[in-house]
Amino acid sequence: MNIVVCVKRVPETAEADLKIASDRKAIDEEGLAFQINESDNYALEQALLIKEDLGGEVTVLTAGPEASEEVLRMSMAKGADTAVRLADDAFADGDAVATAQALAASIKEMEYDLVLTGCMASDDGATAVGVALAELLGVPHATYVVEMEIADGKAVVGRELEGGLVEKLDMKLPAVVTIQTGINEPRYASIMGIARASKREITLKSASDLGLAAAVVGAEGSRTQILGLDYPPVGEGAEILEGTPAEASGKLAQVLKEKGFA
Amino acid sequence: MPTLAEKYELLGCIQCGRCTAGCPVALRTFLNVRKLVYEGVTGPGPKDAKERPEAWNCTTCSTCTERCPKGVKPMELLIGLRGAAIEKGRVGPTIRDALESTFKHGNPWGRIRDKRMEWAEELDVPVAADGEAVPLLYYVGCTPAYDPRCQDIARSLVRVFSAAGVPFSTFGTAESCCGNEIRRMGEEGLFELLVEGNRELLDSHEIGTIVTSSPHCMNTFKNEYGDLGCEVVHYSQYFDRLLDEGKLSFGGSVEKKVTYHDPCFLGKHNDVFDPPRRVLECVPGVTFVEFDRSRERALCCEGGGGRMWVEAEEERGERLADTRVKDAVALGVDLLVTACPFCLMTLDDAVKTSGSEGKIEIIDLAQLVAEAL
Amino acid sequence: MNEILVLTEHLNGEFRDITFEMLTKARSLADAGGGKVAAVLFGSGVGDLAEKLTLLADEVLVSDHGSFANYNSAVYQPVLAEVVKSRGSSLVMIGHTAFGVDLAPSLAVALEVPLATDVIDVKHDGGAFTAMRQIYGGKINEEVGFGGAAQVMVTVRAAAFPPEEASREGSVVELGVDVPEEPALRRFVEYVEAAIGDVDITKSEVVIAVGRGIREEENMAMIEELAELLGGVVACSRPIVDAGWLPKDRQVGSSGKTVKPKLYVAVGVSGQFQHVSGMKSAETIVAINKDPKAPIFSAAHYGIVGDLFKVLPVLKEKIGELRA
Repeated sequence: MNIVVCVKRVPETAEADLKIASDRKAIDEEGLAFQINESDNYALEQALLIKEDLGGEVTVLTAGPEASEEVLRMSMAKGADTAVRLADDAFADGDAVATAQALAASIKEMEYDLVLTGCMASDDGATAVGVALAELLGVPHATYVVEMEIADGKAVVGRELEGGLVEKLDMKLPAVVTIQTGINEPRYASIMGIARASKREITLKSASDLGLAAAVVGAEGSRTQILGLDYPPVGEGAEILEGTPAEASGKLAQVLKEKGFA
Repeated sequence: MPTLAEKYELLGCIQCGRCTAGCPVALRTFLNVRKLVYEGVTGPGPKDAKERPEAWNCTTCSTCTERCPKGVKPMELLIGLRGAAIEKGRVGPTIRDALESTFKHGNPWGRIRDKRMEWAEELDVPVAADGEAVPLLYYVGCTPAYDPRCQDIARSLVRVFSAAGVPFSTFGTAESCCGNEIRRMGEEGLFELLVEGNRELLDSHEIGTIVTSSPHCMNTFKNEYGDLGCEVVHYSQYFDRLLDEGKLSFGGSVEKKVTYHDPCFLGKHNDVFDPPRRVLECVPGVTFVEFDRSRERALCCEGGGGRMWVEAEEERGERLADTRVKDAVALGVDLLVTACPFCLMTLDDAVKTSGSEGKIEIIDLAQLVAEAL
Repeated sequence: MNEILVLTEHLNGEFRDITFEMLTKARSLADAGGGKVAAVLFGSGVGDLAEKLTLLADEVLVSDHGSFANYNSAVYQPVLAEVVKSRGSSLVMIGHTAFGVDLAPSLAVALEVPLATDVIDVKHDGGAFTAMRQIYGGKINEEVGFGGAAQVMVTVRAAAFPPEEASREGSVVELGVDVPEEPALRRFVEYVEAAIGDVDITKSEVVIAVGRGIREEENMAMIEELAELLGGVVACSRPIVDAGWLPKDRQVGSSGKTVKPKLYVAVGVSGQFQHVSGMKSAETIVAINKDPKAPIFSAAHYGIVGDLFKVLPVLKEKIGELRA
């Protein structure tokens, strides 16, 4: 089973105070810690588990700046066999479909049975690259996958629908599957493992290597554009109970009592 | 590939069993360190801690190593087994998350670096400027920086320095994990990375003395970082010195009966038993009662050796921290004083789990001293 | 604009709420822009559903075929593509649901139209559409343009547009399009219901939900204590289930349960949309979170910006005091 895993390097923003950059097209990345996109990490783990079970090779692929190579090295430390970075200014600032164009061109050059990727990137939340990729590759796809079994050239997957309902589908390989978090428990990549992986080669591909015109990828190839970023309006929501924890809790307890809960 | 016996010099073992007999967790887990050494001597031994999950129960208190008459270091074997599991990525999610967090954010608690000085919000805590000489560096530590219960330790320390008129500096949000627990968990590569980064930071300042909140930080800086060109002490030693030099005096008193729990990394690992006791004796109003199991025989609280992030493997019987708290209650004391953030957290949790709520309070020595200022 | 095409979504013989929400927005945009609303209904034996849509759209385009018996994007896509191409609809709206996400991006590629996903607003100004969506877990809003394309597509976030009733007189049109057989490449097998555990959080009047802010499994005890004190059940957001600290049936959110209790207390929950969608109809919502900008505060009625580890113990005390 040859598996390609598409991964993305994203900033960790759960706790951070985000600032919009002056051009209003991006956030200020200073001080942010970066990591592999969470659901891509689960996808990588799934690929490694399948490899352990059925043999084959795992290729990890990303379209990003040089800094994204740290995600590729971590993936190799965990067991990915080959790493490819789509390295070209032409690929930058692409929307989901433009990014999928670049990924598809690279994957078309490979022998693969399965493409795995996370269901959603935590930065842009597009939830679209995997499915667009499948269309460009001309293969079937399934999204939000929480269960997966591979046998006889087929993947039987369980997609997570609303309300915890699971939809079981049967697909012929090759196929693209987007992975939901919680499907497995990702392993750890040790620092020494990552250091060893740093000595291994990462294949770089430019737009011309892949026979892609600049007009099809990156910002130029995007059918959508970011017009501007803003902070969501605040204050239309909760009545904030002010004070120290003791004071605020006291107010809350009062509210709860008045409503008959305390 | 060296065998376990070669790598950890196990062949001196005479199987006397003093190690396991002194191991605090042997009472309540399946950890049998003598047996693991035996396996390493008589054969290739276990491959990693995944094969022997009880290796994760070790608190690295070093009692086994202290007691061995033949100079064998069973604790190093356990750490080695952990390291082998880590290199294969086969560790539980809580350990994985603590290690990844330390790599990304410089602390094992999953918190971002930007918030590392949140504990100091209402205080005026100096941060060393680039390259500035620092006669006294206060190394706060990840746990006092981020954990709500332990943040008071840091604040207390700052108040004591101020009261003593001692100028000091911190590294602010540039401070990173010392790596003591990282090394005990077996992530040697991450430990070395931390040492590299920390040494670069430390070496870029001329430092007189490093004072730490935690015995864990003190332990690794003093014993495992090489020559830092400055002295490294735990705050109990520094307070002892301040009192000796007459720089610290108490305006108030704490009319309480107290006992003291020797943290393993302060006592067993670094022989610091008397300074905290001397400090305690100086606090007005305090009546001090010694535990039966005190000093080298202190009962490990099970907070060290990475245990804060280890999901316990097949435990039986009472948690050691519960026993410790119950023993303190039996002594009839109001306060159980300790000098380590992990001891504070585990003993404080144990007050609830041992059913001792309302009967005793856990407090850090720094907090006690600050209270009596 | 000429028309706004809305792909309706239904399951087990009932329309899902997203259908009414999208149609409401479509009507509002169409009325302002001088266009029409066409609702698309694919299904098997869906005659009565078609009737319901005639009040809500100007045209109801139906394809009733056995291949649509169970949702399969591989069947929907070619049919919908033909409809969109032949009609040249200015805007295509699909729900940002498990169903819609599985279809829209591949459809957008096939049709070569721009796609903005998970939108919370759509505007039509000077002949061009723009959309608003959120990034970084709801912390930043992003306005998206479509480069003046003649046809654009969006997937719409659930509950972004409050549904309104209408009394259009839409005509039902049987689409004479070829519907393919379910392809061997991708076949529906079955639906599997989530197992029901010991606690049904949808039946409790008081729900205390915990999120990533709780940090460690050991700390869950604090939440359980609060739940007991208030006579409620413990629920959670997705990360808690991913970590294995609570079973799936305690998860509140778009891929979990929807609850409408009298009191919902969200502790250490950031309030990302996926979670909020499952609890926003609760009567009284209280949020406790360290981050003043956490999206949960937009959904809550009352909030405490603070460290839950400091707030919870004191809160329990205060509640205890008031009871005494």
